[in-house]
Amino acid sequence: MTDISASGSVAATGGKDGTGRTGMNGMTPGVRIAFLCVLVGAICLALSPYQAWIRTWPAALTLPATEWIGAGLTTLFEFLKPAARSLARLLEYPMAGANRLLVGSPYALTIGVFTALGWHIGGIRMAALALAGLGFVLASGYWIASMNTLGLVFVSVPLALIVGGLIGVLAHEICSLRRAIETVLDIMQTVPTFAYLTPLLLLFGFGPVVGLIASVIYAAPPMARNVLLGLKRVEPDIREAAIMNGATRSQQLLLVEIPSAGRQIMVGVNQTIMAALSMVIIAAVIGGFNDIGWEVLLTMRKAAFGQSLIAGVVIVIFAILADRMSSALARDGKRHSWKVTASILLAAVVIALFQNSALPAAQDFAAFKSAAAVIDRSLGAFIAANGVILDGVKNGTMFFVLLPLRIGLEKAVLPFTWGFQWTTGISIAVFSIATVAAIVLALRNHAVAGLSLLIATGILVTGITNLPWPFVLVALGGLGWLAGGTKLSVFAVSMTGAILSIGLWEPALLSIYLCTASVLICVAVGGAIGAGCAVSENAWRVMRPVCDFLQTIPLFVFLIPVLMFFQIGEFSAFLAICAYAIVPMIRYTHHGLTSTPDELIEAAVASGASEWQVMREVRIPYSAPTILLGLNQTILYAFSMLVIAALIGTTDLGQQIYLALGQGDVGLGVAAGASMAILALVADRLIQGFAARQRHALGL
Amino acid sequence: MSHPHAAISCRGIWQVYGADAPQQLKRALAETGNDSRAAAALLRERGLVPAVQDVSFDVLEGEVFVIMGLSGSGKSTLIRTISRLAEGTAGSILIHGEDILTASKQRLIELRRNKLGMVFQHFGLFPHMTVAENVGFPLKMQGMSRTDRRARALEMLDLVGLSGREDAFPRELSGGQRQRVGIARALAVNPDLLFLDEPYSALDPLIRRQLQDEFLKIQAGLQKTSVFITHDITEALKLADRIAIMRDGVVVQIGTPDEIIVNPANDYVREFTRDVPKGRYSHVSSMMNMPETLPAMPDDPKIGEDMTVDDALASCMALYQPVPVWGRDGRMAGIVHPSQLADALQVERT
Repeated sequence: MTDISASGSVAATGGKDGTGRTGMNGMTPGVRIAFLCVLVGAICLALSPYQAWIRTWPAALTLPATEWIGAGLTTLFEFLKPAARSLARLLEYPMAGANRLLVGSPYALTIGVFTALGWHIGGIRMAALALAGLGFVLASGYWIASMNTLGLVFVSVPLALIVGGLIGVLAHEICSLRRAIETVLDIMQTVPTFAYLTPLLLLFGFGPVVGLIASVIYAAPPMARNVLLGLKRVEPDIREAAIMNGATRSQQLLLVEIPSAGRQIMVGVNQTIMAALSMVIIAAVIGGFNDIGWEVLLTMRKAAFGQSLIAGVVIVIFAILADRMSSALARDGKRHSWKVTASILLAAVVIALFQNSALPAAQDFAAFKSAAAVIDRSLGAFIAANGVILDGVKNGTMFFVLLPLRIGLEKAVLPFTWGFQWTTGISIAVFSIATVAAIVLALRNHAVAGLSLLIATGILVTGITNLPWPFVLVALGGLGWLAGGTKLSVFAVSMTGAILSIGLWEPALLSIYLCTASVLICVAVGGAIGAGCAVSENAWRVMRPVCDFLQTIPLFVFLIPVLMFFQIGEFSAFLAICAYAIVPMIRYTHHGLTSTPDELIEAAVASGASEWQVMREVRIPYSAPTILLGLNQTILYAFSMLVIAALIGTTDLGQQIYLALGQGDVGLGVAAGASMAILALVADRLIQGFAARQRHALGL
Repeated sequence: MSHPHAAISCRGIWQVYGADAPQQLKRALAETGNDSRAAAALLRERGLVPAVQDVSFDVLEGEVFVIMGLSGSGKSTLIRTISRLAEGTAGSILIHGEDILTASKQRLIELRRNKLGMVFQHFGLFPHMTVAENVGFPLKMQGMSRTDRRARALEMLDLVGLSGREDAFPRELSGGQRQRVGIARALAVNPDLLFLDEPYSALDPLIRRQLQDEFLKIQAGLQKTSVFITHDITEALKLADRIAIMRDGVVVQIGTPDEIIVNPANDYVREFTRDVPKGRYSHVSSMMNMPETLPAMPDDPKIGEDMTVDDALASCMALYQPVPVWGRDGRMAGIVHPSQLADALQVERT
């Protein structure tokens, strides 16, 4: 009996949206904030035709911050340059060494060593994976380029592991530093990848060393986080046992705590390897280094999609190999026979000895030249045959979904596309209907929903990029206050205000728009897929490897297929973002819905709930915090893809960062990168705040 | 002030959690004229948590001293303060006359390497080490060579009945086996003092009883001074030479198992012992007396003062007159009336 009442109360607290507890007379915080937003929005809408400053931040008040930052950093860099350049020269040695080792070794030997390693840690399956994967790389003709990339990874991974590990241990040992270090880690990971490159180029000079350092900066945080997490999670009994056995602090750490946290640390190693690989490939945009990322970029620019697809597959192969091998290391499974390992190595050495006389040189392989040509030809044929449909999909989405979000129904509804012209009369009619609906909802005790409807209507009619800045600031401040009180509210407003005052508001709104559009799609589609997988075991069996695959492949590769079908433009960028950012939504929805405690479900079933009622009354409320975290991840993923998508034609902050890279404009690059990080951080803090409140309400 | 044979002597231990606890405690004591109960109430009012309040006791050489209390009574905090896993807020703790609250870090490590052993509720075994490496870990800290460590570890594992499992990893063992490893590790350096923090609470009842019996057997041989934490009154009565009962951070009674059962200090203690089979844990010695003139005692069922009440009653149940009780030295130690023994077994009804 107690179980039933417990589940009832969970459903009750979770079922209502927390803010709609009382009617409209007793104004809950949620109602008050929503009301304020409506009010500010309405005033801005009414005044904006007469007061231009409401729509665009006055130029007179814009700080020339990008120039200041540029000048400041340039001066600072002049100062740091000698040290940086010496570091760069120092790093040249291991880089050259790794490069010579990988490029110089006969490919038969390299393939043999990786196959033997695969056998040793994962048996026949891993060995076959390594052999087949590297065999494909060799046959593709990209062996030398791949080894150039791999050489960089070989240097950056150990560096990132050492740096990250030290940061993690430091954060654990010195409690007063922990908060500061965690914030720095957040920033290191949210600042978009391209944004590092401009200052690094200035500091270290042109060359692959920039890619190396960028990838260390990008790949160290996951290691640091996992080390810290692993150390924190060491059981108190184990910790105390080490103390009581008379271990000194360093003995406790080295002999007990770090080995006990081994599994978590290996998760960090896996993530670091993946991040380093991804960043090394992205760093190819600075060019001048014959690596595999550069090959993709080059073939993409030449619209040789067959070749670029094959180069993309090579990257995916490396990502999968790196991921599977390092996670096999993390599982402490049995190691396989040394004899087989040794014989594979021996065979590799023997073949390598005859390689020069009997086998073609690595760069002479081109097994897929004709395949690439076939792909290009059939792609051309496909587009010629289905061009109308593809264009229809593209234009339909642009005209009916993306443009209205971007510039508002007001401007997007034209006779040319929608068949009629939007007029002030229509605006008034739409707003009246929305107001009536809002009042009806409010009378039925859904005041927040009603007011949200009004706000959504306003945004849709005006368009995200035309939103008046006072409204945006008030709305963010209000959300911050609801999610985490005054502190979060001030954080959100001041951070966003900073973007406004340095004159990057317009590209920032474009970023918000593109991000919102893709996140909305991800939530709808990903949420539905996740829920479907939660209901059907079989669906999950299909989706799971798909999700794994999408999360393994480096960001860069997403661009290839969308470009093949939809050319350069915002729609392609939008698709690429969706494809990448949808995964967390699917995963977290599935996880949230399936991790409801059995007891709660049994209690609901015992009370006579149907399957749908169990879903609505118990599972969904219970999983809300988890799904919110999925949303959070989806937003962060969308932001990180946004920057990469700048390569294929967007006009947002990502494009500014990319432009800055081209022009060596360190001020613009850093300012735009920081703005992007600010947007991501604000979104992250807001949603984390709501998720924490929801968890608290559920007593989790 | 402390007992001459005390291995551990605790005086006025306070453990207060919260900002600026030592100063706050001093202030609260000053304001209440050193009334510890009132001071604790005052601290609580000010948002601090007085987990252990003014606790004093002695643990004698070679005895098993059990600290018993429910969760939240402060017993775990107390043992952590004594072993200095947590820094006490006030008080003095002497181990063989040495104040360990003021001991330097270096001295503390030395003490732990040579004099102290501890067993944990969740075993605290190092997951990446084999059983033998776990047991050998404190010896490694002492700087003992690898081969000597291994030999000593095997010896200890033999003592706790785990021979043959020395190369297993903790995850391959059952709960009972894991705690045997924990005990072997604590005994490995042959410590003078043993701290056991609810060592059997995480185990099944059957395994628990088995390990309790083994503990008594090992203890009979080694005579270690032990501080044993438990929330289980029957475990306390079974293992203890003396018991301290804690409630809300305060020690409410210290006494032998007989004293706790026969003379509970207050209703709280009485409530604890209510469902305990009293005849099994109390002894004749706690009920006999020695009158000026001996009454007529026609029967002698040969009752010894160390017999449990259950056993004594079994042999004199049919008698209606007082019977003699014989001491360990073979002389008469007192007399007891069978009805007295029977009365003691009555479950109190309230």
